[in-house]
Amino acid sequence: MNEKLSENELRAALARDDPAAVELIWDRYANDLLAYLRCVLCSIHDAEDVLQIVFVRIVRKRHKLAKARHLDAYVYRIARNEVSGWIRRRKRDRQRKLADESWLVVRQGDDGPSDLGEHLQAALNRLPQTQREVIVMKIYRQKTFLEISRLLDMSLSTVASRYRYGMEKLRTLLGSMET
Amino acid sequence: MKDNSIENEQLEDFLRKARLPEASPELKQRITAEARKAWKQTTGEVSWLIPLRRLAASAAAAVFIILLTNYSSERALAKWRSGESLPVSAEYETPAEMPYGTFAKNLATLRRKPSAIDASALRDHVENVRRALDESKQNGISISPAPSGGSSFLVPAGTGAGSYS
Repeated sequence: MNEKLSENELRAALARDDPAAVELIWDRYANDLLAYLRCVLCSIHDAEDVLQIVFVRIVRKRHKLAKARHLDAYVYRIARNEVSGWIRRRKRDRQRKLADESWLVVRQGDDGPSDLGEHLQAALNRLPQTQREVIVMKIYRQKTFLEISRLLDMSLSTVASRYRYGMEKLRTLLGSMET
Repeated sequence: MKDNSIENEQLEDFLRKARLPEASPELKQRITAEARKAWKQTTGEVSWLIPLRRLAASAAAAVFIILLTNYSSERALAKWRSGESLPVSAEYETPAEMPYGTFAKNLATLRRKPSAIDASALRDHVENVRRALDESKQNGISISPAPSGGSSFLVPAGTGAGSYS
C-alpha cells in the first residue's frame, strides 16, 4: 500500500516536472540500488560513482520514466546498463586494481567472530555476479523472487535456480574457509 | 529436499549476521545536488519536442541518403546513355579463338556492337539510300518490278525456295 502510494506520488511529481521528484526517487531507490551496485561491483567507491551516474541518467530520462509501465524495472534497467558499461571500462583499464574494500559489515552487537564480515564478503566475491546479485537482493534487501525477476528482467525460475546454485556454492566456499 | 531447505535457512541466518551499509547523508547530498543540476539543464526541453527533433533529424538523414543514391546512380548510368559507345577492350574485340564458321562470327560481331540506336546515323543512312535511288532513277536504271505470283524478287530463281511444300 505504502509502496503504491510512493509510486503514485513519484508519477505525479514526474508528470508535473517537479524537481522534488529527485528526493522521491532517492527515497524509493537509493538504498536498493546502492546494495545492488555494491554487490555487482564489489566496491563501495565504484558503486557510489555509478549511483550518481544512474541518478543523473534517470533525471535526464524522466519523461520516459513518467510513461514507463513499471517504474522499478525501468530504473533497474538504467542501473544495469550503467553498471555493465562501468565493468567494461574497468576491464579495459587493467592498470587499475580494485581496492580491498569492505562492502559488507557485521551487525552491531552480534556475537559472531570478528572476521565474519570479511569471510562472508570473500565468499560472496567468489560467486558469479549473476548468483551474487540474486542472493544479495534476497538476503540483504528482503526482495522476493518475483520482485527480483521483475527488477532484473529475468524469469522466476532463472532467479530461483541462480539463488539455489549460489547458496550451494556459498556453502561449499564457507565450509572450505572454516577448515 | 527438506534437508536442503533447512540448510538454506541456516545459511540465510548466517548471512544475515552481516548487513549492507545504507547510503550516507553526504552521499545523498552529493548525488541529489548533481541530479537537480541535471534537472535544471534539461528543464527547457519540452517533452514533445524530443520526438519532433528526432523526426527532423531522420528526415534530413533520409533526404541526404536519397540525394547520395541519386548522384551515384547518375554517375553509374552516364556511360550507358545513347551516343556514347562502351569502351571495348581489344582482347574482347578480337577473341583469340572463334569456334564457329563465318555466319557465327558475323553474328558474334554484331552482338558485340552497342545496342543503342543512333537516330542521326540512321537518318543519314536513309538519306543516302534515297539519294542513291534518285540518282539511279535519273540515270535511267529501271528496277525490275516484283514478280507476279506472290513470290519475292529477292529470292533468286532456281534456289528451290518455293519447292519445299
